[in-house]
Amino acid sequence: MSLFHDVLEPFRRVINTDPPKDKLSASSKLNLSNSDVSIKESLSNLLSTKRKSSMDTSELLTPEKRPRTESTSTNSPVPPSPWEAKKIKIDLIAAKAQITKLEARVNHQHSIRKEMQILFEEEKASLMDQHKRDEKALADMEERLQVIRRREQELREDHTAAVKENMENKTKWDKERLELQKQIADLKDKLLEANVSSRNQVSEMKKDMNELLQALEGAQSEVELLKKEVARQTSRAEQCIALKTQLDKQTFELQQVNSKLKDLEYERDCYKDWQQHAKTAQKRLSTMADLEKEVVRLRAAERTLRDAVCNKLLLEEQVNVLTAKVEALQPVQQELHEAKVKVALLESSLEEWMSAAKAHGVETARALSAALESAFAGQLTAVVNCSEAKTQMAQLTEEVATLKFERDKATTKLNDIMSVRKSQESLIHRLQKRLLLVTRERDSYRQQLDCYEKELTVTLCGESGAGSAALLSARVEQLEKSLQGYRDLLATHDQEAHAKLVESLRAEASKYREEAESSRREAGKLRAQRDQLQAHLDRLVQTPQPTTKILHLVDNPAAAAHKQMQLDMESAQEEIKRLKAALREGGSDVCPEEMQQLKQQLENSRIKLKRMKEEFTSSAQEYRDVVYMLLGYKIDRTGHKNYRISNMYAESAEEYLTFTLCDDGIEMVHTEYSASLNELVELHLHHHRSIPLFLSALTMELFTRTTMQQDIQ
Amino acid sequence: MSQQQTKNSITLKGSAQIICEYLRFAINSVLFQRGLYPPESFKAEQEYGLTLLISEDPLIKGFISDILKKSEEWILKKEVKKLSLVIINVSNKEVLECWDFNVQYEEGDVVLSKEKNEKVSSKDLKKIQLEIRDVMLQVAATISYLPLLDCRCSFDIYVHANPECNIPEKWMEAAPISISNAQNVQLKSFSTNLHKMDTVVTYKLMD
Repeated sequence: MSLFHDVLEPFRRVINTDPPKDKLSASSKLNLSNSDVSIKESLSNLLSTKRKSSMDTSELLTPEKRPRTESTSTNSPVPPSPWEAKKIKIDLIAAKAQITKLEARVNHQHSIRKEMQILFEEEKASLMDQHKRDEKALADMEERLQVIRRREQELREDHTAAVKENMENKTKWDKERLELQKQIADLKDKLLEANVSSRNQVSEMKKDMNELLQALEGAQSEVELLKKEVARQTSRAEQCIALKTQLDKQTFELQQVNSKLKDLEYERDCYKDWQQHAKTAQKRLSTMADLEKEVVRLRAAERTLRDAVCNKLLLEEQVNVLTAKVEALQPVQQELHEAKVKVALLESSLEEWMSAAKAHGVETARALSAALESAFAGQLTAVVNCSEAKTQMAQLTEEVATLKFERDKATTKLNDIMSVRKSQESLIHRLQKRLLLVTRERDSYRQQLDCYEKELTVTLCGESGAGSAALLSARVEQLEKSLQGYRDLLATHDQEAHAKLVESLRAEASKYREEAESSRREAGKLRAQRDQLQAHLDRLVQTPQPTTKILHLVDNPAAAAHKQMQLDMESAQEEIKRLKAALREGGSDVCPEEMQQLKQQLENSRIKLKRMKEEFTSSAQEYRDVVYMLLGYKIDRTGHKNYRISNMYAESAEEYLTFTLCDDGIEMVHTEYSASLNELVELHLHHHRSIPLFLSALTMELFTRTTMQQDIQ
Repeated sequence: MSQQQTKNSITLKGSAQIICEYLRFAINSVLFQRGLYPPESFKAEQEYGLTLLISEDPLIKGFISDILKKSEEWILKKEVKKLSLVIINVSNKEVLECWDFNVQYEEGDVVLSKEKNEKVSSKDLKKIQLEIRDVMLQVAATISYLPLLDCRCSFDIYVHANPECNIPEKWMEAAPISISNAQNVQLKSFSTNLHKMDTVVTYKLMD
């Protein structure tokens, strides 16, 4: 019960917190402890009654639920009285009501108990948690305590060590102090000694000082004396300088005076000269009148002389003209004489002509001239004809000569041919002789044959024997065969050989004839060629012949060009010489310095170049790095006007874009990676037409992607 | 140019002038065709119905006019037989080419000459000019077969005159021309009936 009380305590507290809610229930519950007993009792009663009544109810209740069975049970042998039945029924109803009430109460209690149980369990769980937490805290505290203890221990150890050290230090320092005190004492002794010695020194110094002061005073007095002396001397020197300047002035004046003196002397000399001049002039002036008279006289004489000269010139000219005229007239006179003579001659000849003409029957001069002209014309034509004839003759003679030559040739050929013919004829002759011989042979053979035949006939007639006859017949046959052979031979000799011979001879003759023809033709050709060559030769040889003289202007372009070229050559050669000399001279002493300088310059420039290259590469690298860091793109130049850029946040090295520089800007080249960025390309390149925007968008996208991946990880 | 006194009659002087005019054009044409002087120093002129190029260089102009003035005098006196334009290699003075202009003297129209009391020709001027034109065309065509002049060259004009002729001032005798391994090409000739002009080019055949 106490436990129940304990358990109920918080619950009660909870209930007590709000008393106005249901005082009644509280009071009833407060009475629960008292009523519990009664409840339990009643319950037990009830249970007993139930147990009792279960028997009863099994008897009583069943008829209600199962009226048939009840009816069957009612059929039991003990039938109740109606009053009893009524009483039982009332009890039953009351019991039933009590039962329901109790049941409700029990249920209520049960629910309360369950709630309490749940509450208690929760409380228990929280308490358990608290307990656990307290245990944990305790453990932590213990651990901490241990740590603290350890620390304390360490600190203690440190403290002891420090104390020890302190002690050691203290002893050390004490020792040092003692030593220092000793040193101080020593120093004090030394100081005392030094003080004593210094006092002595000071006294000595003071004495010296006094002596020196005295000496100084003496010296100062001396200095004053000397100063006075100096002042005196300076005044004297000034006086001297003044005197000197005065002297200079005086010498200058003296010089000036001297120069003036000289001028004056010069002037005096001049004056003397003038005096002399004046005297002579005066003398001349005295003779002036005489002179003037003379002048007048002389002028008159001059005039007369001039007139005379003029007259003389005129006369001379006249003489000249006249002499020229005379000279001109003399040949004329001579000509005149000659002409007269000629005229006389001509007249006589004319008379002769006239007489001759009259003799020829021509009266007038015109007729004569006409006759003469006609005669001349006739003569001219004759001459022309003659020349033509001559030329013709010459041609003809040439032709004749050529023809003769040809004839000679032809005759020689003919002779050849004749000789050939003769030889042929002799051959023919020989052959004919041979033929004769052959015919004779043939005849002899025939005769032989005849005689053989005769013999044969004789022998056949005689019939001396068959063997001999056979022999003979064979012989005959043989002989006949040979005869036939001879005949054949003859026949061939007779016709073929002859025909052949004749034909061959004919062929030869025709051949020779053809040859002659061709040679004639050739001769003609050669002649034409010769003529041509002759003409050519004439043309070529015309110049050296005395018929012409080659003339040309002295200053012709060819000569000028030649001269110019010679000048050029000379100047060029001179320049070559000069250059060679310069090379020889310069090769020894000028060049090395220059070479050295140039080499140095070269070296310097190389170093400069190298440094610049290094600088350039480093700055280029730096620039690239900066670009990469700032813009997030690594830009590589992959060739002429081709650029490859790869993003900082790219997932792999193969994610790059390529651009080419065109005339009108920059264009992106299609790559595998760019194909995968269709959306961005469409939006920023095709729609916005901005590469920077596209690149930044790509950077953004890649960045977000990589950061998201990191977050996920 | 030509003194055409009456219809179709050319005097001796006029003929000589025609000849000299032809020589002037022919010489200039050769100088241009053979490339002796730069083409920009030549000026085009219309003559004989052709466009011919005349040198503008004052030195060359003066030289040619001096020569032709004297030559005209000589032609009138029948003292010239031939004019030669020689092209010389400057470095060794070798004659590489020679253009001979042979002058032959003809009688002209005898009957008309008698009438006019001086030698005249009755040949039509237009016909003469046509003949000259043919010759000039041939001169221009020679470039196709003449060898290339690939060295520094200059030219000179030699007048082949009668031996009795006096040598005027500033003139002198020259050595005869000889070309080794020479080739001759005879061009067409033309005539005024008083003078006949044969043009022959002789050149050194290169192996």
